[in-house]
Amino acid sequence: MALRTRIAVTFLLLLAAVLAAALLAVSETNSRNVERDAALRLDAGTRAFSRLLDSNRRQLTHAAHAVAADYGFREAVSTKDTDTLVSVLENSGTRIGAAMVVLTSLDGEVLAASGSQFRPGMHFPLPPAQMESADGDNDSGFIVDNGRIYELVAVQVSSPLPVAWIAMGFELDAAAARELAGITGLSVTLSVKSADRWSDTVSTVPVDALRGEDVVTRRIELSKSNDTEIVAVLSRSLAEARAPFESLTRALFLIAAVSLIGFALAAFWLARNITRPLQNLTRAVGRMRDGSYDVALDVQRHDELGVLAEGLKLMQSAVQTRDQSIRRLAYEDTLTGLMNRTAFGAALSEALGGSDPTPVAVAVINLHRFRRINEHLGYSVGDAVLIKMAERLAAVPSVRSAVARLAADQFTAFARLQDANTLQAWGTSLLVALSDPVFVESQPVDITATLGLALAAPGSVSADELMRCADLALERARREKRPLALFEAALSPAAPDQLSLLGELRHAVEHDELRMFFQPKIELATHRVVGAEVLLRWQHPTRGLLGPAEFIPFAEQTGFIRKLTRWTLDRAIAQGARWQRAGKPLSLAVNISADDLSDARLDSRVAGLLTRHQLPPPLLTLEVTESGFIEDPTRALRMLDAIAALGVSLSIDDFGTGYSSLSHLARMPVHEVKIDRSFVQGLESDIEFAPVVRSAIDMGHGLGLKVVAEGIETEAAALRLRDMGCDIAQGYLYAKPMPLEALELWLEGRVRVPVIAVPVDFPVEDLADTVNLAVY
Amino acid sequence: MSTHRYRRCLFALLAMPLAPGAFAGMVTVDVTTTTGAKAADAVIVFDPLDTTPPPSHDKAIIDQVNKQYVPRVTVVRTGTEITFPNSDRIRHQVYSFSKPNKFTLKLYSGSPPTPVTFDKPGLVVLGCNIHDHMVAFVGVVDSPYFVKTPGSGTAALNMPAGRYRMRVWHPNETGAEPPREVAVSAAPMTIPLTIDVQGAATAVAAWPE
Repeated sequence: MALRTRIAVTFLLLLAAVLAAALLAVSETNSRNVERDAALRLDAGTRAFSRLLDSNRRQLTHAAHAVAADYGFREAVSTKDTDTLVSVLENSGTRIGAAMVVLTSLDGEVLAASGSQFRPGMHFPLPPAQMESADGDNDSGFIVDNGRIYELVAVQVSSPLPVAWIAMGFELDAAAARELAGITGLSVTLSVKSADRWSDTVSTVPVDALRGEDVVTRRIELSKSNDTEIVAVLSRSLAEARAPFESLTRALFLIAAVSLIGFALAAFWLARNITRPLQNLTRAVGRMRDGSYDVALDVQRHDELGVLAEGLKLMQSAVQTRDQSIRRLAYEDTLTGLMNRTAFGAALSEALGGSDPTPVAVAVINLHRFRRINEHLGYSVGDAVLIKMAERLAAVPSVRSAVARLAADQFTAFARLQDANTLQAWGTSLLVALSDPVFVESQPVDITATLGLALAAPGSVSADELMRCADLALERARREKRPLALFEAALSPAAPDQLSLLGELRHAVEHDELRMFFQPKIELATHRVVGAEVLLRWQHPTRGLLGPAEFIPFAEQTGFIRKLTRWTLDRAIAQGARWQRAGKPLSLAVNISADDLSDARLDSRVAGLLTRHQLPPPLLTLEVTESGFIEDPTRALRMLDAIAALGVSLSIDDFGTGYSSLSHLARMPVHEVKIDRSFVQGLESDIEFAPVVRSAIDMGHGLGLKVVAEGIETEAAALRLRDMGCDIAQGYLYAKPMPLEALELWLEGRVRVPVIAVPVDFPVEDLADTVNLAVY
Repeated sequence: MSTHRYRRCLFALLAMPLAPGAFAGMVTVDVTTTTGAKAADAVIVFDPLDTTPPPSHDKAIIDQVNKQYVPRVTVVRTGTEITFPNSDRIRHQVYSFSKPNKFTLKLYSGSPPTPVTFDKPGLVVLGCNIHDHMVAFVGVVDSPYFVKTPGSGTAALNMPAGRYRMRVWHPNETGAEPPREVAVSAAPMTIPLTIDVQGAATAVAAWPE
């Protein structure tokens, strides 16, 4: 249940309970009050009734006394003048409205009567003494005459001794009952029991009303004799008594209903007033979690929610500040404020992956002699220079460009360029920006820089590949001592082809379009097969079988060569192991590029492959070109040492073409050298090449290495090389590079002799130790 | 009681007729009530059976003192004139609805206008129209021989010897002796009488004729 509903429902239930209790109490009190009120009214009614009877009696008494005291009346009584007596009775009865006036003898014989059925000589039913009222306080008498009830008072007539009674009576008729009802607020019924039967003589209510349960009554006995009984019944309808209380109860119910509704609305309003800001805050917190800090937290309140909102607001701004600083640390170069490599890579990826087809140019800039600035002028000057350089680069007007610092003295930038022709101009503008002397503490510091440029269409290459192209261009510029170089492949007219080639190469590796071809190596002295060099062919889906020259240089330029080498090593070692398991071991040589050597994990990768496929290391030879040592000879040597430690043979490819110094060569842990094919070809056409070749062979032997010659196409060349002491030959003269099946067929026809004796049960397990050693 | 009133009473006693010559015997009546008390105001009348008494021209007085008739019971011979003086300061009226002697004296104070002659025998009840409780009884008899008992209940009178019809009446009696013959001789005689007397006089006993 939502907080809002819970708050509202809780309070509503409480209020309802209170109201119910109040209503119950009121209703209980009301019903008690109704009964008490009815009882009180009946008491009051009874008193009023009795007072009415008293009042009647007094009135009757006075009237009767007046008549009895009248001298003429006494005389008429004494003289028994009946006519006169009747007239006097009528007269006195009319005077006070008495319905009945009767004169009786002392023993109850009617002497004269008025307003009744009594005639002289009849016996009056009620002994006069029983209704005597000498002083007005005594009881009156009641009789029923002709179905009517009379209240009677009798007074003695004396002349001067008692001679007669005069009885006067009011009829308790409907009018009297109504009067009484009016005074008491009760219903009045007069009942007579005669011959054991009750009859209601007069009543102000329907007879049935008295019999109901919802009525309280009070019975007042007026007269009781053997055969006649007269009672007055006062009654009060409870429903009537309840009416005012019921209207009160109704009013209470109305108040309860109205207050419940009002309370419900107020509670919901209040609850919403609390929960709505809470929802807003929750939403704001959710947005914050998703990294958005722009939610307005302006809760204009001064209560707890306001405090909470204020706290969240402070927290939001604190988190935002921290987030920004973390982002800055992660994506910014702290010294210059430029992007760092990560941020730049992301930005470049975005530019290359976008829908904008405008080509993207990348420049990699290297500052010269920066280390010397640090060493001679101090790090603060160096930092100042870097900051200055960063400012200048950032100030170069480029279309939607980005600048980043990659390393201590290396910057990079990318920009959208409409075509390749403006690439050089952009690079030059960057160099110009850097070329002005920098003044640090009024001291000019000359900065020169080298710049590599690469250009690519979005979608054709990855950011890494493009940056690598620029890197390669920078390498070339440095090598050629030029301030600026362009990545050639990207600049050639076939650039689009070249770039798409990269994607196709990746596709080739993933979809097994590469093929291993094997070219046998022959021992010149014995003509035995001592191994084979693994060469790659690309079974291109549209362009047919491509030779290494058509994609290996490109792969080396773009850095994709590492993937190719990895693929080749895996397949070659697996194949070598298959042969080994088949009892036909053959040493395989795989080419390693300079770029592969800079891969710090090359040795461990080779070791892992050997272990996995269980190939004895001596059956693997890695061929490394001399150019592989140029960039970082120390590091390359370290890697070669590690590989050699695995037990893998190493071979110097293209020996004699040039760059490696002899001192390096002497320190290399290699087992053989491979004389470059240009020497062998030269040997066939130019006799002057012979001393050079002989010297190379001798040098190899002098270093304790085997010497291999490749590219041998004629028997003559083979003979001369054998005469010069060359150990192993390789070339069309013996066999072209061929696929696996062809090689195996070719081998069937020859005597197979391993180059070195390898026990079949070479303890592969020992390799693990070797690998560990190699890692260090 | 004033001397004036004494004189009147004395006069009334002196006026009692005495038969000449023949006082043959003295009769004493002794009236007690059934409870043994002496009965005052008892009236005993002796009607001579042998002679006819002559008409009387006696006079009598019934005074009104403190809203009471004094005396309450009076016995007179037929033809007696009774005067109703008013000794109270207030006015009184005197009436009688009794058949033998009906009369009315209008309200007056002091001396009455005229005496009233009681010329028929029988009981006369007197009342005052404005004071209902004032009641007096006057027994009117032909015989000159009658007596009213004082507080002692005993009274005596001289009568000639002979036969008499004795009547006994008391205003409150309910059971008196019926009239009877009494022979009076020269020798004194005492007649004991017992009457039944009610406590309250709401009705008057019937007059024995």
